[in-house]
Amino acid sequence: MASTTRSERLNAAVDKQVQRIRDFVDDTEPEALVVVTAIAISLLTAFIGFLLVSNLTALPFIVFVAVTGYGWVRHQEETALVLTLTMTVSTLLILGLIIVFIFRESVPVLQYESATVFGVSVPGLRMFIQPNWDAVSPPIRYSMVPMIHGTVMVTVIATAVAGPLGVAAALFLSEIAPDVIREFVKPGVEILAGIPSIVYGFIGFTILSPWASDQFQTTGQGSYLFVGIVVGLMALPTVVSVAEDALSSVPEAMKSGSLAVGTTDWQTMTSITLPAAFSGVSAAVLLGVGRAIGETMAATVMLRGVPRLTEPLVNVFYGQETLTSLIARNYGEADGLQMDALFVAGVILFITVLVISVGAQYIEWRMRSKLGGEA
Amino acid sequence: MSDDTGDQRSRVSRRTFIATTGAAGIAGLAGCGGQSGGEGGGGSESESEGEGGSNPTETESSGGSMETESSESSGMNTALLNAEGSSTVYPISNTGSSYWNSNAPPSDGEYWGSNSESTVPGWSQLGEPDMLLADYFAQKFGFEPTEQRSSPPFPTTVGLSHSGTGCEAVTDGLVDIGNSSGPITAELSISEEEAQNTVVDNVVGRDGQPVVVSSDVIDAGVTELTGEQVRGIYQDEITNWSQIDGVDYDQEIYAIGRSEGSGTDTSFRLNMLGGADASMPGVDTRFGQNQQVAQAVSQNEGSIAYMALAFTSDTVVPVGIDFEGTLYEPDRDAEHTIFDSDYPLNRDLHMYTLIEEDNPDGGGYDAREAAFINMFLNEWGQTIFVQGNNYIPLPTSDLRSMKEQVSALATEDLVMP
Repeated sequence: MASTTRSERLNAAVDKQVQRIRDFVDDTEPEALVVVTAIAISLLTAFIGFLLVSNLTALPFIVFVAVTGYGWVRHQEETALVLTLTMTVSTLLILGLIIVFIFRESVPVLQYESATVFGVSVPGLRMFIQPNWDAVSPPIRYSMVPMIHGTVMVTVIATAVAGPLGVAAALFLSEIAPDVIREFVKPGVEILAGIPSIVYGFIGFTILSPWASDQFQTTGQGSYLFVGIVVGLMALPTVVSVAEDALSSVPEAMKSGSLAVGTTDWQTMTSITLPAAFSGVSAAVLLGVGRAIGETMAATVMLRGVPRLTEPLVNVFYGQETLTSLIARNYGEADGLQMDALFVAGVILFITVLVISVGAQYIEWRMRSKLGGEA
Repeated sequence: MSDDTGDQRSRVSRRTFIATTGAAGIAGLAGCGGQSGGEGGGGSESESEGEGGSNPTETESSGGSMETESSESSGMNTALLNAEGSSTVYPISNTGSSYWNSNAPPSDGEYWGSNSESTVPGWSQLGEPDMLLADYFAQKFGFEPTEQRSSPPFPTTVGLSHSGTGCEAVTDGLVDIGNSSGPITAELSISEEEAQNTVVDNVVGRDGQPVVVSSDVIDAGVTELTGEQVRGIYQDEITNWSQIDGVDYDQEIYAIGRSEGSGTDTSFRLNMLGGADASMPGVDTRFGQNQQVAQAVSQNEGSIAYMALAFTSDTVVPVGIDFEGTLYEPDRDAEHTIFDSDYPLNRDLHMYTLIEEDNPDGGGYDAREAAFINMFLNEWGQTIFVQGNNYIPLPTSDLRSMKEQVSALATEDLVMP
């Protein structure tokens, strides 16, 4: 039942699109049509030339620029239409090319790290079922387990730092603080987000890490705990900023209604404002998590760079390597399979970030359908 | 194993070579002994010339270039001196060439000589000559000083290729100096004897990674380690300093390594751990750059690392290493030093010159080559060109034997280290 309606809907949509294109062709002057077609074909040819690494790629591209220039003067409307469409398509195309590239580059090491399960050889499986990484001395193994472990540790600690602090700060700024303070603090927090990550990493490497090594009596410096704290602080401005926006977009009418029935300010915040802005606040925290996973410079500088699991697994006082720092530390020296293994780390990061952003969208959609209305 | 025998062979050959050239060097010294006083006199003469008004100097020097031409006809070749080869030796060679071509005056202070603001390192050891840079080194081999900056007695240039290309170019006579980071015997697959009959091996510096520890480890009495102990530390057999014989220091060892698979990492595994693919389970952290290693060693107790010598300091201290009974000490004047070519983490950086019929006495140099190479063989040259590029300066004994090698051609007494 549902499937038939879906296919009917699909057919209707396709028909509508075809009709739109037909209308467009009917309504447009023939010359403008020629221009639009020329733009499309020249750009497509240039793209194919680019993929084939042809020396003649410049030719169709010059044609594209020339025709676009002509079209912009004579048929601005149609040209603008095609240009905006082209920009959208090229964004998607670039994304697609990157995905194809990193997957393709990681194929050799996936084949090398095949493992047999129930008589079936699964490429890449051995990277995830044993924890040894050694790119030089045999047995040569490229396990991703230590890096996944490191990334999880850093992200969890960073979220534990950035989440509560960020949401609390956002609540204060949006609901409690006087206007004057908000006017000063909000831009201040946003400036914090602009501090380059190497600055945090440098402070972490020269001051925090040696201090932590002394205090916790670890052998040498570099701990997931302090990398997590530093990355959490780096993600804090993002969380505060986005969560504050979400909280202040809760309609005043909802809060006033709550106050009118006799609740205190705090009761209004916890039972009305926060739930109403929950999708926005969770999006803020997820953005912070995304920043923590992707953070490279501070982690590379502060971690030890020796891929291995900590003992025991929850030991946060030793910090080995994350997915991003593995790439940042080794891209210069790596070759062959080791280089391909770095691409595998890239693939894992890509998939993780994809899952998180889809998750964020899902939460937002759930909240919208549940709460409804304008919030 | 094959490396060991190779080392052995080159060691023996170097000794014999030093023995033969040493004799010539002594003879040269004896011959020049009387001139050493004359050198000082010449220096003061040119001083008075330099001080006495700028106009006469200019006219003199413009005449000087004609003089050089005439002296060329009298046998001094002032053609462009060209060198080519290894990218590892290139920084030393090329910085040297740039300094040479600039022919800085002694009042410069930054590159050459001394003024009220600064003095170049090793300046007093050179006897504070009142001559321009290239003039000073060239006149020791019979060239006329130009007494004009940016106009050396003969120009120099350095090309960049590979060790093998440099060796081939010098043996084919395409260039005057062949730069190589490996011995020519290995680069061109020729025998030690053939190499000795073809080229002169001028070692100007060393590339290597001394083992360093943090200052607290030095304070605990660790001033030397055996090769076996270093291997044990990096292979996780020794994890605490107290496990080392005679050391009473209960501190976990923080072993710092270099980027996995990098050239530094590979050569350390090869020379210390017994193979290019030897495992390193004891390494606690890895860094890509010397600066990071130095910083980490200075701010962590119980650290051990290997890195370029130029980054050592009070808190990052090189230690002596005992390899199979031979103790290599960090002291520059010791019998065996960590700056020696025998020290397993080092390799020589060569500037080969061709033995040619038309050289004076059919020897390994013409005057230009000897003058240029001699520039590197003193404290100033070693500090600026070798240490300045993060390489290891030659220890005193090697510096002396290299100096004796070039002194055969010198017309004046060379300042011995």
